[in-house]
Amino acid sequence: MTRRLLALVGGAAVLAALAALLRPAATGPALQTPWGDPDLQGLWTYEVEIPLQRPARYGDREFLTDEERAALDRERAAILGRTAEGVRRHERGTEQDVAGAYNAAVFTTHRPTGQRTSLIVDPPDGRIPPLTPGAQRKRDDIRAFQLALLQPTDVCRNGLPTCAGGKYGPVSPRRDEPPPHYITLVNAGGAAVGGGGGAINRAFGPEDRNLLERCMAGVLPDFGSNLGFLLQIVQSRGAVAIYYDTSQGQGWQRVIPVSDAAHAPQGVRQWWGNSRGRWEGDALVVDVTNFTPKTYFNGSYENLHLTERWRRVDDRTIEYTVTMDDPTVWTRPWTVRQEYKKQSDRENRVYKEPRCHEGNYGMTSLLSGARVEERAFAEGRGPDPATKCTAACGGFAQGFDDSGEDANPLTR
Amino acid sequence: MKRWSTTSIVIVALLAAAAGAALALLTPRPVEAQAGADVPRTPDGRPDFSGIWQAMNEAHWDLQAHAARPGMVTQPGIYPYEYARVPAAPVLALGAAGGVPPSLGVVADDGEIPYTPEAAAIRRANGENWIDRDPELKCYLPGIPRAMYMPYPFQIVQGTTKIQMAFQFTNAARTIHLDEVDPPPDDTYMGHSVARWEGDTLVAEVTHFNGETWFDRAGNFHSEMLKLVERFTPISRDAIQYDVTIEDPKTFTRPWRISMPLYRRLEPNMELLEYRCIEFVEEFLWGNLRKEQLVRRWEGETIIVDITRKVPPGDQLHDWYRR
Repeated sequence: MTRRLLALVGGAAVLAALAALLRPAATGPALQTPWGDPDLQGLWTYEVEIPLQRPARYGDREFLTDEERAALDRERAAILGRTAEGVRRHERGTEQDVAGAYNAAVFTTHRPTGQRTSLIVDPPDGRIPPLTPGAQRKRDDIRAFQLALLQPTDVCRNGLPTCAGGKYGPVSPRRDEPPPHYITLVNAGGAAVGGGGGAINRAFGPEDRNLLERCMAGVLPDFGSNLGFLLQIVQSRGAVAIYYDTSQGQGWQRVIPVSDAAHAPQGVRQWWGNSRGRWEGDALVVDVTNFTPKTYFNGSYENLHLTERWRRVDDRTIEYTVTMDDPTVWTRPWTVRQEYKKQSDRENRVYKEPRCHEGNYGMTSLLSGARVEERAFAEGRGPDPATKCTAACGGFAQGFDDSGEDANPLTR
Repeated sequence: MKRWSTTSIVIVALLAAAAGAALALLTPRPVEAQAGADVPRTPDGRPDFSGIWQAMNEAHWDLQAHAARPGMVTQPGIYPYEYARVPAAPVLALGAAGGVPPSLGVVADDGEIPYTPEAAAIRRANGENWIDRDPELKCYLPGIPRAMYMPYPFQIVQGTTKIQMAFQFTNAARTIHLDEVDPPPDDTYMGHSVARWEGDTLVAEVTHFNGETWFDRAGNFHSEMLKLVERFTPISRDAIQYDVTIEDPKTFTRPWRISMPLYRRLEPNMELLEYRCIEFVEEFLWGNLRKEQLVRRWEGETIIVDITRKVPPGDQLHDWYRR
């Protein structure tokens, strides 16, 4: 009896030892999948804060010194601290004060400043290349429409930064026109500052509101924001699935076919384009085309062409490089590089839910509020709704101010 | 002698166990319950479900056996009989495309869904108020198991420790965890799935539902107490047997099962395209709150559908006869 028991225990011990030995995860860093492709799997995010474009004061300098980084970290922490404690607020009761409520600490970043002065590695000045005349015209059209709708509000009366380029005046007849282009995001008109709400100062229907408010703001490429950014990558032979956990339930699922098949026909236009991946050495190279005229990325719409490289550099790191090309919009292609660091798989930090859409009471409230104000005005009980600001009113810049010395030191 | 013999027995046992364990772990999965030799496999010998799949049945209309219906929404017609209802306004203009195809059902065993009496009343009311209540019509996340048999393809990407499922409908996603993972911080539409292998069958336990999803367009529903055990078993290279045991003591008097095959989409150029319906339903959800309404009449939140069917010249009924 004792012998059998001993034999059983011994056998079980060997089984356990063998099982542990044969489980690939236990044998240290595995940078290749069991089927031999570079392994991009896991949860990833960037761990340092680097501005997309290099602030002008750094000129051609690519890297910050450790002292500069420490100083920037102190400066940012101080501003965010003032925000969190409500020390820094716009004048009580103004629309900017309301919009600025979103600046609460939950929307701010705690990532330290990174070494690079810009995510853009090409062109060498770290800036988005100049727009073509056609793209500039489109941007100006949108901006002019934004300003026409803002002109009778306090934003322009008080000459706030979000009215830059406009002036205070009576209600514009343009208020009843359809927008000159599909409304996407606040900065589609080139406004450099935080929105504090929608893209155009009107809420006639859901299409007047920006893509964030419509729960359709997930874009490609996405370099993250202070509101959160995690990638969950799962791959098999022939496919790489990436879940983009981005701000406020705007996340989305992408599946990249690894295939030499041609892109979908030109007529098939999609929000996240049409991706084709291939393995080149240790990198997944993805070609993305077929975007819709409704997608918006820094001035580019349906003609955006991306070339992405996802490279597993080491156990903890993926280097992501993407080249944006759209000759109808930029005078030359430009390239961004970002490093993603591996996060704990066990902590289950990637959330596909809650999604924005299932809980979009905001849209209901916004539209019904606008109708109530119109009725009140018609009955002589309230101001003309056209004079009130509900979009691009300023005051919100993800924890920072939208201008001045309390603006984000990494972007001002 | 006695001590030596004990030691030797232990050594022999260890060697035997080691050999057995090595064999068990190194050889492909056992032959019992195994599907055709053409089932794709991962390097460690498990079935590889990676690919684009779709159910080919009418479960998304109604899990249970049903005869064809004249419309997705019906109303009493000339006759006062239940069996003689006619299509109602919202689908009238769709003609024969607005009907509901028949099915022998996917509910296993006796074909019944064992609702409690209270839940059965809710199920009936759901069916009668389908347009206003079905989360699918609002483009909400469809939940599990419904996402698995909606009339849209979905892609399985089977990784080493996670299996990702990407659904065409509203870009929904789900992760099946094969490794240890903390539970989600809140209840969910798509559930929290943790799986293990039983031979060639992937067995997923799905919990942490929020009770906001349905099973089908007939009004079959569940509460936040829903617990699923899903079983994915390869039938062949191109088909998976999908069985689900459904448990929800708040809604059902006993566990019950649904069972159906899932089929591989065989088109050589198949890929998952977008069906991002959030923008498609803005009129449905907020049309009554527009300044200038597109639909002619809203009464409160109710759309009054006035159907105007303009027939272009030459397309009048029977015109084709005269061509």
